[in-house]
Amino acid sequence: MWAGAPLALMWTTPLWFAPALCLAQNPFAGNAQAVADGQKLFVQSCAPCHGRTGEGAQGQAEGMRPPDLTRGVFKAGRRDDDLFRVISDGVRGTEMPSFKSLGGEQIWRLVTFVRSLSATAVVLNGDPVNGEALFWGKGNCGNCHQIGTRGNRMGPDLTRGGRRSNAKSLRTSIVDPNADISPGFAIITVVTRDNQKITGLQRWLDNFSARIVDESGNEHTYLRDEVKSVTREMRSTMPDNYGKIFNDKELNDLVAFIVKTRSEANSQ
Amino acid sequence: MRTVAWVLAALSVAAQAQVTSETLTKAQQDPNSWLSYGKNYFGWRYSPLTQINTSNVAGLAPAWILATGVPGNNETTPLVSGDMMYITGPSNTAWAVDLNTGKKVWSYSDYVPSGLGLCCGTVNRGFAMLGDKLFKVNIQSTLVALEAKSGKVLWETMIDDYKKGYSNTVAPLIVKDMVVVGTAGAEWGIRGYIDAYDAATGKRRWRFYTVPTAGEPGIETWGGNSFKTGGGSSWITGTYDPELNLIYWGIGNPGPDMDGSVRPGDNLYTCAIVAIDADTGKLKWYFQMTPHDVHDWDSIGDPVLLDATVDGKKIKAVAQANRNGFYYVLDRTNGKFIAAKAYTKVNWADGIGPDGRPILIANKEPTPEGNLVCPGLGGGHNWSATTYSPQTGLYYFGSTDGCQLFTVVKQEFVEGKQYQAGDAIGVPKEPSTGSVIAVDPATGTTKWRHELMSSTSGLLATGGGLVFTGDSEGYMMALDAKTGKVVWHFQTGGPIRAPAISYTFRGKQYIAVAAGQNMLAFKLP
Repeated sequence: MWAGAPLALMWTTPLWFAPALCLAQNPFAGNAQAVADGQKLFVQSCAPCHGRTGEGAQGQAEGMRPPDLTRGVFKAGRRDDDLFRVISDGVRGTEMPSFKSLGGEQIWRLVTFVRSLSATAVVLNGDPVNGEALFWGKGNCGNCHQIGTRGNRMGPDLTRGGRRSNAKSLRTSIVDPNADISPGFAIITVVTRDNQKITGLQRWLDNFSARIVDESGNEHTYLRDEVKSVTREMRSTMPDNYGKIFNDKELNDLVAFIVKTRSEANSQ
Repeated sequence: MRTVAWVLAALSVAAQAQVTSETLTKAQQDPNSWLSYGKNYFGWRYSPLTQINTSNVAGLAPAWILATGVPGNNETTPLVSGDMMYITGPSNTAWAVDLNTGKKVWSYSDYVPSGLGLCCGTVNRGFAMLGDKLFKVNIQSTLVALEAKSGKVLWETMIDDYKKGYSNTVAPLIVKDMVVVGTAGAEWGIRGYIDAYDAATGKRRWRFYTVPTAGEPGIETWGGNSFKTGGGSSWITGTYDPELNLIYWGIGNPGPDMDGSVRPGDNLYTCAIVAIDADTGKLKWYFQMTPHDVHDWDSIGDPVLLDATVDGKKIKAVAQANRNGFYYVLDRTNGKFIAAKAYTKVNWADGIGPDGRPILIANKEPTPEGNLVCPGLGGGHNWSATTYSPQTGLYYFGSTDGCQLFTVVKQEFVEGKQYQAGDAIGVPKEPSTGSVIAVDPATGTTKWRHELMSSTSGLLATGGGLVFTGDSEGYMMALDAKTGKVVWHFQTGGPIRAPAISYTFRGKQYIAVAAGQNMLAFKLP
């Protein structure tokens, strides 16, 4: 009985009503009108959390961190029907509700618009091979960043760097690292009761403790009631002169390399 | 034998636990139970229990942990009556819990439909109780009555059409034989109201619209037809003064939130406290904190009722830590403005004038590019429960301290669709912080302020000289009510969004709070 309902759907409804089927195709893929229609729907239904641009807004609910939809990489999966499923069913345990009531056709228009966000996000036509050489060579980025099993962990792990940021924001992060500091990479200074000063990266900082990565890459937890002070500076440890070290083309090459690590991670 | 005696005692407590209107009026005299959202009708959330106090709170430890298994933000205020605890969860769930063991006695759940207009998840803030019944709202805008002993549905009433953007998250307020509820949905162009339902049948007794219609007083504060989508939600439980027979309720933002140009005027009764006659649902008075709001500053903070001594004279006051950054004291008999004071950084008003209206600073409206305004969209103090301690004479509330960039866009209204016409985002490199603030309730003068990484959950004050709260990192903590110093903390394992309660069971004082997907009860060893 339970399995009967989806089977009945197959025979009586158009294919776009059955997102669970692997064969579901987006009937509007690439359709400019559907992108425009989808944008209107997006503003009404999605912008409260994801922001009007899809880059994620800080909503009314405290602690809400809606994903950036402009990167072209989604937790839900890679196919249009993965996006359809998430919009239609919602994500249990998160603030993402079901939008099934919009109807299949409207959901496909939304999918088409969301897809267009990453298509229109800045594409930097760099050379990933040269970018890789710059990353490990001239830029010495591996001193702080890890990609795969190579490099260090002082800065954000860039193995899936492109999954977190689109090409535009990756480039901004390289030339202006203080513009938007990745969560957990602010600088913390702890002063102990015997006046030792420890400065390092914020692995976490809460009302009762701080965990710091020191200059040697070692991690320590400090309990606030056992130290004299804990202060946080909203600046990055990353040098802010990469805009001078690299020229425009080299920056694009670097970004292309980091974005490529995303694609490789996806294909695993 | 001793065990049997305890069981018999517990059973007799349970058998006596018939909640009446009289019980609720005298709730403060019963320290052992917790029978309504605000503990007493005045919304104090003050437990006079002293067993857990500043000298021994360091030993406070979990007695039991109930895993509900339901994900989502847990914002419930548990009710305790006899040997049972009654809690609601997100996504139309609820449970009765045995206080002996922390195990579920019965479970309730209802289907969550698609097509809801929700800003902040399928949350629920708790039950109300009267007689042998429990009352809760469901997210799809219904009110349901359950039999307390079994969880059986006795009746369910449709409050409104969720497809038009109405939803319900509020813990109901029992007044006499009525169940009073408010609605959410001001970001969906609803027209808000406060409703009273017959507790026995679920039939509606009265409705007070928070936005007037043509021909009614206040309509002159809405340009054109803007009242039709005026918002004015009512999503946090009000308070009640049985002597004055008035219900006090905080009203939410006007719609659309950020584009004030389409709704010229003060936009009554949005961002106001209204006092309503409990029998008729008619407006007795109103006081609007933020006329013509464009920053989503709902006036939904607890409208707590207390006595304030002003110029040597004791007056019946209603106080509110408003989302707009100011703390207000009003005369609750007539709504007259008494005092207001900023409790966090405010850059949109240069104080509150003698008439109670904000002295506006120019150019603080949202702009297409983003305009820096303090406090941010969430306030200041938002909805999280506040507490008044008659022991210290202080009023306590949490605050988010910081600014946001407010944007505005043109947006057409479509029924059932989000209608916010703008947004607010954080300021790069300047994350907001939080604080717990203790003020003199008569003046709003800060007595102490405990600064935190971010804003806290709701508060509970106790006769043990403590104020309990929790944070989004999962820490439950107790502060010294006199100084604000943290005297105990415990990592619960899940973010705390709900306020704690306190009760007595088998002679022991407990502190209970929802954290993550769990309900925890703490006691001394």
